[in-house]
Amino acid sequence: MIRLKSKLALFNLLSKLVFTSLFLILLPSIIERINLRQVDNDLIRKREKTISLIEKVGIEPFINTDTSDAFGSYNILKEEFISLERSDAEGELNQIEVSNRIIEDEEITYRVLNYTLIVDGQKYLLEIGKSITSIQNAKKNISRIILAFLVFIILATLITDLQYTRIILNPLKKITNKLKEISSPSKFDMTPVKTNTSDFAGLDNALRDLMIQIDESFRKEKEITVNISHELMTPISVLRSKLENILLQNDIDSETANKIEESLKTLHRLQSLVNSLLLIARIESHQYLRDDTFSIQNLLGEIINELIPLADDKEVNLTAEFISDYMIKKANRSLVFSMFYNVVNNAVKNTDRGGKIIVSGNVVHGRFRVIITDTGKGMNETQLSTLFSRFKTRNVQDENGTGIGLAISKSIADFHKIEVSVSSEIEKGTIFTFIFPENS
Amino acid sequence: MNVLIVEDEKSLANEIASFLKSENFLCDFAFTGNDASEKIAVNLYDFILLDLGLPDYNGLDLIDEAKKAGNEASIIIITARGAVEDKVKGLDLGADDYLAKPFALVELLSRINAVARRKFNVVSQDVVLGDFFMKVQSRKLICGEKEVDLTKKEFDLLQYLVLNHNKVLTRQQLYEHIWGNILDDQYDSNFIDVHIKNLRKKLNYHAPSPWLETVRGVGYRVSIA
Repeated sequence: MIRLKSKLALFNLLSKLVFTSLFLILLPSIIERINLRQVDNDLIRKREKTISLIEKVGIEPFINTDTSDAFGSYNILKEEFISLERSDAEGELNQIEVSNRIIEDEEITYRVLNYTLIVDGQKYLLEIGKSITSIQNAKKNISRIILAFLVFIILATLITDLQYTRIILNPLKKITNKLKEISSPSKFDMTPVKTNTSDFAGLDNALRDLMIQIDESFRKEKEITVNISHELMTPISVLRSKLENILLQNDIDSETANKIEESLKTLHRLQSLVNSLLLIARIESHQYLRDDTFSIQNLLGEIINELIPLADDKEVNLTAEFISDYMIKKANRSLVFSMFYNVVNNAVKNTDRGGKIIVSGNVVHGRFRVIITDTGKGMNETQLSTLFSRFKTRNVQDENGTGIGLAISKSIADFHKIEVSVSSEIEKGTIFTFIFPENS
Repeated sequence: MNVLIVEDEKSLANEIASFLKSENFLCDFAFTGNDASEKIAVNLYDFILLDLGLPDYNGLDLIDEAKKAGNEASIIIITARGAVEDKVKGLDLGADDYLAKPFALVELLSRINAVARRKFNVVSQDVVLGDFFMKVQSRKLICGEKEVDLTKKEFDLLQYLVLNHNKVLTRQQLYEHIWGNILDDQYDSNFIDVHIKNLRKKLNYHAPSPWLETVRGVGYRVSIA
């Protein structure tokens, strides 16, 4: 992924490169043309001058019919030359061309004007040449200067572009930072981001409105949860107190006591069912904070300590194998505790005498993972697929569980963006894998 | 001790009262917030059991009123609104403890006693259990010259049974007291049985412990004559 600011700067740079290189390629030939035209005009002027001179003084001063057929003259630096010779060629010439001449062992490129002059019925070829080596040199020099200048311009504008886009995109950065930081909509910073770019102000406004809306619906959900819990818990509470009071009477027979205790147990099942549903509702409506930082080793150690008496009693070997400790950040410790507790407890329940449960943790590709392996009863495909659904108990004979423990674990994992995967084989065992997000 | 029960659910208030009366408390009722507000202003109580979900009043305001009126009653919040913020707010306002509904009556009693001990600086009495001697302050169980090596959970369990001696405690009541509500769904009666089994094993290694009774089909009891 590329930052917007870099993208803009990169685009600017590329477009500049294309245009300037086009310019760079075309410019020398344009300059050359302009210069050549100037040289041509110059040559034509000189031709006119020569013609008028010949008209004035006649051809003799240049060409003596007796001694020579041609006349030629160079200036000292061989910048220019003029030649006049008798010609018998057919047709009349009036053209300008580039041609190389060797003068005193030196090859020089000239722009040469050829012109057929008729004096006293005799054809003469007039050639006026002007060296264009200087023009070609100038072309090279100009190209160099332009190249240097353009490199400078490109670098300078690249730097200023980067700075400028950084400044104008700053509000956008602030807005995305605001979004990144929050753990719940109510934590969204409602103060508007300072900007005079209407698009950003619009985005900021829209986000703010959205956050207010989400927060409002969370608040309503919370209210409903509170109301439901009150409505359900009050009658349960009344029943429970009544039953407990009966149980406390000294004169009840053991059969009645038994029945009362069973009713209390059933009532407790109802209570934990409601509690579990409320817990899931609260997690799913983000009513818990995620601002604890804690050592995962400590947390798993606590869970194992809690469950070791139970495992020992069943002669199940429950051990921790840690390769590394890890600090979990931005999480809710007691929820994460419940998440792992439910799974390990489940493993203890479902592992037979002499079995083994291993809890291990390590960092793989920068992400911490916890693996809980048991040699328990295992599950088939159908059981696996409904493992995290509410009320589908793994073990039907288990009276106490409401079959919601793993569903709770799953919603806690989702709440923390922890990936959970399970693999299992009947009579071999089950492996739970929890992979924490990268930044936690 | 005087207790004001502020609770709009009359039958619950009655059950709490009948339990507390059997523990020699004097109970008064307020079924509405206004009623409670008046009674708090006029009477002196040692304890106020306060339901936050009153139809006509925000229970939290009552705490404020009681504190402002200089009422020295200890306040224990009993509420079905399980939100953590309520608990924090209530305790911040000066409530002494917080109990989520539904709760065990014996748990309510042990909270009241704990608050009272704190308030009046009562040093917990050491307890004789057959051949054993429980030092409550230093959390030790002694048999003869030797200390019985108990885990924290085992000691807590025994102490709770001792605190509520001669009462049968159900596994659920024991579980809730020791593990709280967070692991509610995973409540497992086997849990308590395993801990009691281990506890008994450790006790019997030193001396017989007939005072720790299993009441079949109901729970456990510590009998002290």
